[in-house]
Amino acid sequence: MSTQKFCGGVSAVGVGLRQYKRGEAPMPEQGVLVQAIVDACEDAGINPADVDGFVSYGDDKNEPVRLMSDLGTKNLCINTQVWGGGGGGIAAAFGLAAAAIGSGQARTVVVFRALVQDNSGRMSAAVMRHHLNDHIIGAGLIAPAQICALRAQRMFEYHGISNAITEELVRASYYHGSRNPEATSYGKELDIDAYRNGRWIAEPFRLFDCSRENDGAGAIVLVADDVAKDLRKPPVRLLGVANGCEKGWGDLLENDTHYDSAGFRPVAKRLWEQTGLTPSDVDVVQLYENFSAQGIASLIDHGFCSYDNVEEFVRFENLIAPSGALPVNTSGGNFAQGFIHGFGTAVESVRVLRGESANPVADARVCLLAGGPGAPTVSSALFGRADL
Amino acid sequence: MKGLGADAPYWQALQQGQLKLQQCSDCSQWHWPAVWRCGECGSWEQQWREVTPRGRIYSWTRSHYDFGAPKGLPLPYVSVVVELAEAGNLRLLGHLAANSDKQPAIGMAVEGELFHCEVDGESIPAWRWQPGNTTTEAAQ
Repeated sequence: MSTQKFCGGVSAVGVGLRQYKRGEAPMPEQGVLVQAIVDACEDAGINPADVDGFVSYGDDKNEPVRLMSDLGTKNLCINTQVWGGGGGGIAAAFGLAAAAIGSGQARTVVVFRALVQDNSGRMSAAVMRHHLNDHIIGAGLIAPAQICALRAQRMFEYHGISNAITEELVRASYYHGSRNPEATSYGKELDIDAYRNGRWIAEPFRLFDCSRENDGAGAIVLVADDVAKDLRKPPVRLLGVANGCEKGWGDLLENDTHYDSAGFRPVAKRLWEQTGLTPSDVDVVQLYENFSAQGIASLIDHGFCSYDNVEEFVRFENLIAPSGALPVNTSGGNFAQGFIHGFGTAVESVRVLRGESANPVADARVCLLAGGPGAPTVSSALFGRADL
Repeated sequence: MKGLGADAPYWQALQQGQLKLQQCSDCSQWHWPAVWRCGECGSWEQQWREVTPRGRIYSWTRSHYDFGAPKGLPLPYVSVVVELAEAGNLRLLGHLAANSDKQPAIGMAVEGELFHCEVDGESIPAWRWQPGNTTTEAAQ
């Protein structure tokens, strides 16, 4: 791998995740967020007042300056978020945090996302407001599920891929979620008949092809490596981040060039070049699955498999920990763990490399986080153990 | 709700029952979404060409869940992305006519007609696509 450390060497040192059923958060959004940030600081063993930077994504409504009184913030040095209403900014947020630390603009940066729907409304509607105009609405396209369904249909029908493979990914997520006490689906594996006969949402998606929506908040604390080594938990290094899109992709009224993809092709290429790593170096993947087919397209885009061999690769046995060749969504992911705009997948990226996952992957050294498939901009990050 | 403004001639043409799409006056690049400046050649001169609403289905989805569809689109309905060969394979959106007994498929030839649906009490012009006569098209 590359000998040059990303942003001079930055590590995730603390995680916090508070998750509730939609509509059942015990307090408003800002309160839940403060709790998650304090949880993350306690996990790291740092004083919340020392956090001096905040980065979010997806149109988070909690402007960091309003958190200062609760956290005791001494200095606010970085407060920003990634453009875009979807989850495509999740990994990019870590890139901004690392850039702030690497450039000396901040020392202790929290990446966060909070979503309590009594305050912020339905997630899906918020995402679509970015894209809706009369041309899209007039076609009856109102929700992300429908846009992703169009792209999924193109992938399956044009490439002749059986859409039965989505079941393999969804089953793997539920297998992990059923074994994760923090997951919404804890204790419940996927009922295959219920999956196959689930009500149609937008073809080719049935109910269980769609992610959940939860209330909650998550936070991850990042510091420079030389600070990280003296904190409570084993640091998890941020190996690299890539974000964005290339010409021919974006907010193009469904005129995107690689329409059958999840938009990661150029982003993944940059991530591999930046880190010197390849798909074969990745031990475990946290996939942001808004919809089942987009999770599969993400795997193809990153080069884990191709349109030709995806049916052999995306097999339940291959995707589960500890025995699978490439365990995916070891916390249950957005389908089975829960969905706070994907933040659970970021938290799990850190936990699985610390050995804290409910579904441990023995000797996992590198984890890919792939965020927001199908969004106008997407982002991916690689995390690695400090002893990598 | 009608985009960021460069597409105004598209909506004006629809009001007159025509499909017009934007093409660069200098390098002939088709643009949709509409642009102010052609990113291919740097030209600020764009023209709006009348295009026959005839193309092929690029992708489709049949919606069964009511996300808040416009009035006039009863569930389930099929939304389509249609590629227009006459306009440099630009893709337009719309829905497949409900009276079509054909299963939608990528590559299916379709012809568009204007359709007015209602959203929040406002009438919106949209496209309804009918399976086209492929033999006629081939003969042309």
